[in-house]
Amino acid sequence: MIMNAISFRMLADLNDSFWFPKQASTFAGEVDWVYDMILYVSLVFFIPMMGAMCWFVYRYTKKKGEKAESQVSHNTPLELTWSIGPSVLLVWMFIQGSISYLDMRTPPEGSYDVGVQAFKWGWTFDYGGGVFHPELHIVKDEATKLSMRSTDVIHSLFVPAFRAKKDIVPGRYNYMWFKPTVANEQIPPEELAVLKQQNQGAVWDYDKHQVTPEGYSFFDLYCTEYCGKNHSEMQTAVVVHETQDELDAWIKANSARPGDMAPAEWGQLLYNRRGCSGCHSIDGSKLVGPTFKDLFGSEHGLTTGESIVVDENYVRESILAPKAKIVAGYQPVMPSYKGQLSDDDIASIIEYLASISGNAPSATADGTVEEDKNTTDSPST
Amino acid sequence: MSTIPASATSRDPGYPTSRENYLTNSSGVLSWLFTLDHKRIGLMYLIGVVTAFAVGGLLALAIRLHLLSPEGWMFSGPEANNIYNQVFTLHGAIMVFLFIIPSIPAALGNFLVPVMLGAKDVAFPRLNLSSFYLWVVGAIFFVSALFSTGLDTGWTFYTPYSTTTDTSVILATLGAFILGFSSIFTGLNFIVTINTMRPPGMTWFKMPLFLWATYATSIIQVLATPVLGITLLLLIAERVMHIGIFDPEFNGDPVTYQHFFWFYSHPAVYIMILPAFGIISELISVHSHKHIFGYRFIAYSSIAIALLGFLVWGHHMFTSGMSSLTTIIFSALTFTVSVPSAIKVFNWLATMWKGSISLTTPMCYGLSFIFLFTIGGLTGLFLGTLATDLHLHDTYFVVAHFHYVMVGGTLIAFLGGVFHWWPKIVGKLYNEFHGRIGAGLIFIGFNLTFLPQFVLGSRGMPRRYATYDPEFATLHFWSTMGALLLGAGLLYALVTLLVSVVKGKRAPANPWGGATLEWHCTSPPPYYNFERPPVVGDPYDFHDIEWDAENERYVSTEPEREIAPAETPETVPAHAGGQK
Repeated sequence: MIMNAISFRMLADLNDSFWFPKQASTFAGEVDWVYDMILYVSLVFFIPMMGAMCWFVYRYTKKKGEKAESQVSHNTPLELTWSIGPSVLLVWMFIQGSISYLDMRTPPEGSYDVGVQAFKWGWTFDYGGGVFHPELHIVKDEATKLSMRSTDVIHSLFVPAFRAKKDIVPGRYNYMWFKPTVANEQIPPEELAVLKQQNQGAVWDYDKHQVTPEGYSFFDLYCTEYCGKNHSEMQTAVVVHETQDELDAWIKANSARPGDMAPAEWGQLLYNRRGCSGCHSIDGSKLVGPTFKDLFGSEHGLTTGESIVVDENYVRESILAPKAKIVAGYQPVMPSYKGQLSDDDIASIIEYLASISGNAPSATADGTVEEDKNTTDSPST
Repeated sequence: MSTIPASATSRDPGYPTSRENYLTNSSGVLSWLFTLDHKRIGLMYLIGVVTAFAVGGLLALAIRLHLLSPEGWMFSGPEANNIYNQVFTLHGAIMVFLFIIPSIPAALGNFLVPVMLGAKDVAFPRLNLSSFYLWVVGAIFFVSALFSTGLDTGWTFYTPYSTTTDTSVILATLGAFILGFSSIFTGLNFIVTINTMRPPGMTWFKMPLFLWATYATSIIQVLATPVLGITLLLLIAERVMHIGIFDPEFNGDPVTYQHFFWFYSHPAVYIMILPAFGIISELISVHSHKHIFGYRFIAYSSIAIALLGFLVWGHHMFTSGMSSLTTIIFSALTFTVSVPSAIKVFNWLATMWKGSISLTTPMCYGLSFIFLFTIGGLTGLFLGTLATDLHLHDTYFVVAHFHYVMVGGTLIAFLGGVFHWWPKIVGKLYNEFHGRIGAGLIFIGFNLTFLPQFVLGSRGMPRRYATYDPEFATLHFWSTMGALLLGAGLLYALVTLLVSVVKGKRAPANPWGGATLEWHCTSPPPYYNFERPPVVGDPYDFHDIEWDAENERYVSTEPEREIAPAETPETVPAHAGGQK
């Protein structure tokens, strides 16, 4: 299996070209082939045309007042030839493009289905059974269908290595599919530990480390429909597993809080993973939503003019029905997480909020706060 | 070396007196603000659109400087992404609505259409002036959007982002709405002018090709722009009253907005490029001193583009989730529109063949146009082909493609046109050497800016990104360097023109050897253009245009005419024995 992975990697490197990223799906070879053919056709026209232009300029540049050698004004057969002749190539491009397109449009029966929820500015992939994750994990050589919806504005899911793209339009489901052909590898745990050490518990930088927080190499997944402020940061990773068993193991590992993990630590993980960090800072700065720093236990004015103490019930309500009570000065834009977070998840987030708040109510809570800070290596900023 | 046959008589209108010159025949600010003279309105438009272009260009430089580093170089702080988004939105909106759409039709078209027709003015001079003031009001709306809460929707105003963002969408869309009327008025005016005011002898197929292009453009302006108006009003209604047509939260459909928007905005692409085709047809023919090749094909292809342009809007939405059948039909229609554009390029090349080419500044822009527009057109094939479009859609490939068409095409043609008709507009000659240097800098700078973007796009770099992955940094660096060079080149060209106003030599009536009517009146034209409608023949017949080296000008000549019969007839008739 490792040999396989290596040979595939070498193959993929062979396919790395001037124009394209790695070919990592069944579409890639075909799209690149069509692209190359159009490129050659274009060059076959472009080079002689520009050559002719330069030659004419060189050959026929004359002093002012010298007459042109010819005043020919038309030649109908010639003009008909160059009007109709190239159309044959256009028809070929159209037909070839459409055939490949129909392939790319129609998911095969029995594809592995992953739900996608796009929001400002992040992704949630639904693996069924209450497992949600911001990274897309799929299996090599297995047709994967994405059923996509958006909770706010139009987004578009683009994986350059797969040559696949589709808009995600609010108010409807859009579907896309692809079959990955290259599996990603996992770096050894020692190397990952070094990276984690370097990262100092800050938000994981995929581009800097070039692996996911779990040590997988990955393909880029971009949002390609402009969606507001952090459109350019609405990126995530696609990890292709070698076998279904590996994927199942990964899903299992991410399905719920591991028994040995403190709730606050799990809460922090969810905060980074599920898109909270896109709108709620933990350093006190005002983003789209209120900051989480010192939030828990504090008192907030609402848009209705009332005020409320941020307690367990308010946090829970704000996660499940975010538009019920809006803090004054903010827009009701947060999507509901109803059905996406288990009770344990919500309790963990509440623990995490308490752990980063100086207003956390009880002395015992303060105690756990200190303890959690030590264990989770909370971000220093 | 004079080539005028000694026996021929030459005709030249000479120079206008200051009482005839349209620039000086009346003075004072009010004589400009309330002028009905199409030439003055054209000149005011020219100043207006160049100002808008300068603003849009500075915004473009800000975009490129920000993209110098993956994390963003120009703007910093927590609002950096927001600032970047506002900058690219305003760059797009200003360039499209305030610069490209009015650039050639309203500025050069206003000046040239009546003169090329030998008419004294457009059909409706007051409508013409109101069109200019609508442009000004539209521009004010845009500026006020800029100074209130900005605008961050992209120039396309896609819903539901545009109905939910808290920036000044309403101000900006009202601005675009008003600019739409300005565009409609200009188009209507030109249609009526060209239909009714052609001089004796100018049949449809004896019109200069610039007029054909303007006519085709005007048809699109009149037919398509109302749809933009309706769309923008619906967008405002959706935002204010939640009527539920575009916003899914109120049972609307965002893709409907895209259909509405592109039904105007794709034909608008041809509003931008068709007049450029017209200019290039004039430039290549005049500076090659040779009859344009395939006049009828070029004229018909303008009309074909105008009509086919209405049927291809769906190619902006190949990834939006339209049905497969719709998508494939739009792809097929898209390919049909590429044929007429290709015909024109072949015809321009054939016009140069066996010509007598003068490498003047306008010709440099003409050659530059053929090179850049061909790249722009050919890269459109990658986007019209469905399989490759799915990969390239909304990446930098698209950005590079439409800049090759809009900047490499329209802007270069606009500059070529300005340099071509500058002696006619202001009556001064600019320095040819500096003119050519400017054209060269712009050509190199432009290619350096946008060629790397094709590669960025096919490698997967999405557009409208304020920050990007480090693997794209090198290409972005070169693109930014190119943009700086392009900016310098444009400034160089502007300075060349401005210096000519102060220091330039007085321009003769026909500095290039053109045969169309504008070269038959003085430079600058008198306020009345022509005393009486001139009689015209073939606008591309250069047989009787000769270079007058002594006065450094071209003149039209007439061969020496003999009075027939040559001898005085006998006074005594034959029957009286008079003739031998």
